[in-house]
Amino acid sequence: MTAATSVVDAPAAPKRAGVLRRLATEPGAAIALAFVAATLLAAVFAPWLAGADPYENNLRATMRPPGGEYLLGTDAQGRDLVVRCLYGLRVTLLMGLVSLLIGGGIGVLVGFLAAFYRRIDGLLMRLMDMLLSFPAILFGLAIAAIFGPGIVAVVIALSVATVPLMARIVRGAALVVMRLDYIEAARAVGMSDARLIWRHLAPNCLSPIFVFATLRFGQVILLGSALSFLGLGAQPPTAELGAMASEGRNFLFFAPHIAVVPSVLIFLVVLAFNVLGDALRDALDPKLRV
Amino acid sequence: MLAHIARRLLTAIPVMFGVLLIGFVLLQVVPTDPAVVRAGPLATPDVIEAIRRDLGLDRPLWMQFLLYLGRLAQGDLGVSIINNVPVAQELGNTIGPTLELMAGSLFWSIPLGILLGTVAAYWRGSIFDRAVMAFAVAGVSVPVFFVGLILIWFVGFKWQLLPFTGRAGPIWTLEGLEALALPALTLGGVFVGPVARMTRTAVLDVLGADHVRTARAKGLVERMVVLHHALRNALIPVVTLIGLQIGFLLGGAVVTETIFSWPGVGRLAVGAILSSDMPMAQGTIIVLSLGFIVINLVVDVLYAVLDPRVRAS
Repeated sequence: MTAATSVVDAPAAPKRAGVLRRLATEPGAAIALAFVAATLLAAVFAPWLAGADPYENNLRATMRPPGGEYLLGTDAQGRDLVVRCLYGLRVTLLMGLVSLLIGGGIGVLVGFLAAFYRRIDGLLMRLMDMLLSFPAILFGLAIAAIFGPGIVAVVIALSVATVPLMARIVRGAALVVMRLDYIEAARAVGMSDARLIWRHLAPNCLSPIFVFATLRFGQVILLGSALSFLGLGAQPPTAELGAMASEGRNFLFFAPHIAVVPSVLIFLVVLAFNVLGDALRDALDPKLRV
Repeated sequence: MLAHIARRLLTAIPVMFGVLLIGFVLLQVVPTDPAVVRAGPLATPDVIEAIRRDLGLDRPLWMQFLLYLGRLAQGDLGVSIINNVPVAQELGNTIGPTLELMAGSLFWSIPLGILLGTVAAYWRGSIFDRAVMAFAVAGVSVPVFFVGLILIWFVGFKWQLLPFTGRAGPIWTLEGLEALALPALTLGGVFVGPVARMTRTAVLDVLGADHVRTARAKGLVERMVVLHHALRNALIPVVTLIGLQIGFLLGGAVVTETIFSWPGVGRLAVGAILSSDMPMAQGTIIVLSLGFIVINLVVDVLYAVLDPRVRAS
């Protein structure tokens, strides 16, 4: 009960430590957090952890099943799937992260501008509504058609699809903050717009941005890997989880693990981000809890 | 009511314009000269020049765009550069199977999702509720292709229960129905979770409302309270939320069609893009986008029909 009243007293974001402690007490969230941390570390340190080249063929050890000499087996070219997955995780996560930074960054900017300058609000939000009326898969198809299939096309598509979602969330959060007295006070002392947004508006909109980014990261990875699976994203032999699953599809009946291993990895990563995002939302904003 | 529909139609116009512009841009990035393609390999320069004039390729771009819109209005979406088949004809052949797949998926996943969501909301916090919620999170996290590959491997390949490549005929024949089963299971499978989750939230909302308390207070049977007073009102937001998820469904359909070699628009689109068949890519993207816009409109109007308050605002 005391926690609830303190939130009301201080509308600022709860302290980081408190949020982390709350996440740690919930088993699902704690596991998800640990898994996310582990995958991020694995992706960053892939070259040191792997100890082998993800592109080097070994035709004497093709399609080995998991277990034994190769923990997750080998693919049709005899490449160790542990090594491929480590590098694949790297490409997939990077693809998601870059899209999220570009799309989310533009979305945050649009959201703040719309909330701050009411005159352009209508125009910006109609524009966002237009973008929002397209499913991400159509952006993926159209952009892959214009620029040709590849990781760049996927990143552009995912970024574009993220902008309107982020913009709406940030605008909503910023409008609430804009009504508070201290914004008026900051204006009264003659603070510049840019400084006001950066110093007072942005810090108080961080939790919805953070929650959305976590949940969106899972979706972006899912979409990106689906586009790669379709052949519109990362191209073989690039080690990317969706592209690896797509390659494995050709050998489904002889060596199902080639497709299953990267698919399960995508599933687990996305699941972890979704569980973590839900838990973060509950911890940071009890009002949104459903 | 009519005013509401008219307003929604008006807002859809700029979006449709954007789609058509994208379609036009796609045709501009073709590395080959469309006139040369249309003329065929044996054409003389004179013929090519004539076709170029005929297609309006010697005019300024904005003029070409207008001509392009004119051709679209007549149902002329161009000709595939791979097999010379008119794009409109190919689209006509693939729209049916795509609708079939979507209908086959929604037919079972929406009722199941609504059922699971309602029961989960009613027994909030129970093991069943937790299981449904876990299933829902898993549903939005699992790659569609993974579900498809697993079903192909077990049901199709190992147990040999159902076919898993292509369409075998209309759904009213046994073969057609059998061929549709696995794709519809795959696509519907990832849709059950989100529907259950949305229903649960909506029902929870309504269960706390005054009119439900009144219904209980006057001694109504619990089944009547849940079905007539709670679920019926909860269905209103669920309809919109399902409408919003159609994009998610479309993405899943493209992947599902590709895995199961289902001859739909999504698979056609992917194939066209991979083979740089721009007229075909343009046609599929326009049709998918317009289809999506129309579905959104329908959902919106349906929402207004279900909830008179929407019309007023």
